[in-house]
Amino acid sequence: MPTGPFTDELLGLYEDMLRVRFFEEKLDKEIFPSGLIRGLTHLYIGQEAAGVGVIRALEPQDYVLSTHRGHGHCLVRGSPPARIFAEILGRRDGLCRGKGGSMHLCDMNTNFVGANPIVGANIPIGAGLAFASKYLDEGRVAAVFFGEGAMNTGAFHETSNLAALWRLPLVLICENNRYAISVSVERSSAVTELAERAACYNIWREEVDGMRVWKVIEAARRAVEACRTHQQPVLLVCNTYRFVGHYTKDTLRYRPAEEATEVFREHDPIHLAEQELADTCEVPMEQLVDLRDRIRREIDEAAESAKQSEPPPVEWALEDVYAPQP
Amino acid sequence: MPPSPDSATREVAYALAVRTALTEEMRRDERVFVMGEDVAVYGGVYGATRGLLDQFGEKRVLDTPISEAAIAGMAAGAALGGLRPVAEIMYCDFLSIALDAIANNAAKLRYMSGGQLALPLVIRTSAGGQAYAAQHSQSLEAWVAHIPGLKVVMPGTCADARGLLKSAIRDPDPVVVIEHKVLYQTRGPMPADEVLEPIGVAKVTRPGDAVTLVSWSRLAGVCLEAANELAAEGTEAEVIDLRTLLPMDADTVLASVRKTGRLVVAHEAVTYGGFGGEVVAELTERAWGDLKAAPVRVGSRFAPVPFAEPLESHVLAGKDDIIAAVRGVV
Repeated sequence: MPTGPFTDELLGLYEDMLRVRFFEEKLDKEIFPSGLIRGLTHLYIGQEAAGVGVIRALEPQDYVLSTHRGHGHCLVRGSPPARIFAEILGRRDGLCRGKGGSMHLCDMNTNFVGANPIVGANIPIGAGLAFASKYLDEGRVAAVFFGEGAMNTGAFHETSNLAALWRLPLVLICENNRYAISVSVERSSAVTELAERAACYNIWREEVDGMRVWKVIEAARRAVEACRTHQQPVLLVCNTYRFVGHYTKDTLRYRPAEEATEVFREHDPIHLAEQELADTCEVPMEQLVDLRDRIRREIDEAAESAKQSEPPPVEWALEDVYAPQP
Repeated sequence: MPPSPDSATREVAYALAVRTALTEEMRRDERVFVMGEDVAVYGGVYGATRGLLDQFGEKRVLDTPISEAAIAGMAAGAALGGLRPVAEIMYCDFLSIALDAIANNAAKLRYMSGGQLALPLVIRTSAGGQAYAAQHSQSLEAWVAHIPGLKVVMPGTCADARGLLKSAIRDPDPVVVIEHKVLYQTRGPMPADEVLEPIGVAKVTRPGDAVTLVSWSRLAGVCLEAANELAAEGTEAEVIDLRTLLPMDADTVLASVRKTGRLVVAHEAVTYGGFGGEVVAELTERAWGDLKAAPVRVGSRFAPVPFAEPLESHVLAGKDDIIAAVRGVV
């Protein structure tokens, strides 16, 4: 069996990406169509390399903040898949006792401070966590994920300025999936070189191929190192693509169907990692197939376990509005 | 400080009462820090944070850029990270820019996370009209008192400006403290000792049996003046300073209304859609059988606050409106 630091690491990253892909496919193809999910979910299919590469460059004590498209980040950070499924299904064993749902996952066991579906809102919150870490001399960084759409919010610009001014250990990760719901980056951004938008705040920045996970982790390590060592904000732009709709009911009429097919054929992050593992690392295909089978079984079992969880009791509806009375 | 006839209190300006609370709490707890526009070097536009920078240093007293969204969002994040932020939004009119962080995030993160997250933060801001016209004069407590997850206090005296702020800083939940810009330079008694005024407890500031007069912030004091004038006509009003809007101490008001059978609620915010409507509704539901007259709201007229003095006085609720309302129900 071929090993070596690069091969071992890439196998781990590949496994993480598979877990996210299979988790999302389970929702997309099975659980959502069966009508078990209230409302909607935003799937991460296509963007796995960005989240996996960045999160694996972080330390366990670091904070991670995510978006409405946060299942993948939450999984990679280490939450049990069954508890994420249960939350998305609105069950009592969900990470948030069934009170958050798909868009508000949170797991403080992994310092996953949470998904936040108000675009841009998590950026100043991340800066506040970074401020606290610096104030308390904890050495943690706060890593905030957002899409390219969030770069047009006031929160992004106000926070970038302030974080640079106060030298906060804040890692800004823009996952540029090219569409803010239906509006393409070309139609929403006067400057489409997204990393350059941090230039006016004098923020360390880098742009990376967000489909090749081994390139993402390399760039993320540079970014996190620069952030932690020099106590300064950094911006990493991961160029990626979502192969599916913005949400589970998206009609996708804003982009040609061939576009997704073509990006998928050429740039599917799972396939690219597989190729790299097979060609460069010479990992036998049977090993990859075994791995895929194992992860798929793991996800199937997690989903089944979540479905067994009961709905939360109604008394919970009025709990957690405020801190418990001492 | 001029000595007060009562040795248990001293006479101070409201802004100093605020500063006293901040100083005491920052001394007590290293995690407390102050951030906002012009709060450090300048000491706050009303002097409420003057001297804190010298005393506690720039790590704990921070001037921010004019970035209300970032100020409030960072305060929420810093609270999540284990600190006790006291963030200032200079005028409550500017809450509009910070409201996402306050109402959608600080107020809800504990709940959405199923109780995993704690947000012990304070947003200090100021309400009230004083010649600054439409965008610096509003009383917008209804914006925040509508949000589950927040607490809202509006101190109307120096003792409460200090005591309620101290409680807010120690509170485990996000508290919006709305001070009054006209009060900052007015003087009043403050206890010599460190006293914490509890959040969610109203105060009967004048006993009476003819009518219950409920108010908060600056108008709570104006109600006392009105009550003294009414007493000369033989009408003894019981005055209640609600002090906390969320959670509202309806029980104290209820006990009074059961006794007087009449209720007038006065605030400086616009009457229509104001929090006074909530007080009236709550008390009407709970004290219907005891009411001898329809409860009345007193508030500002339905217009932005104008600039010219006669126009401003016409729009903002004041003592004459309160007296007229009481005469109308007794």
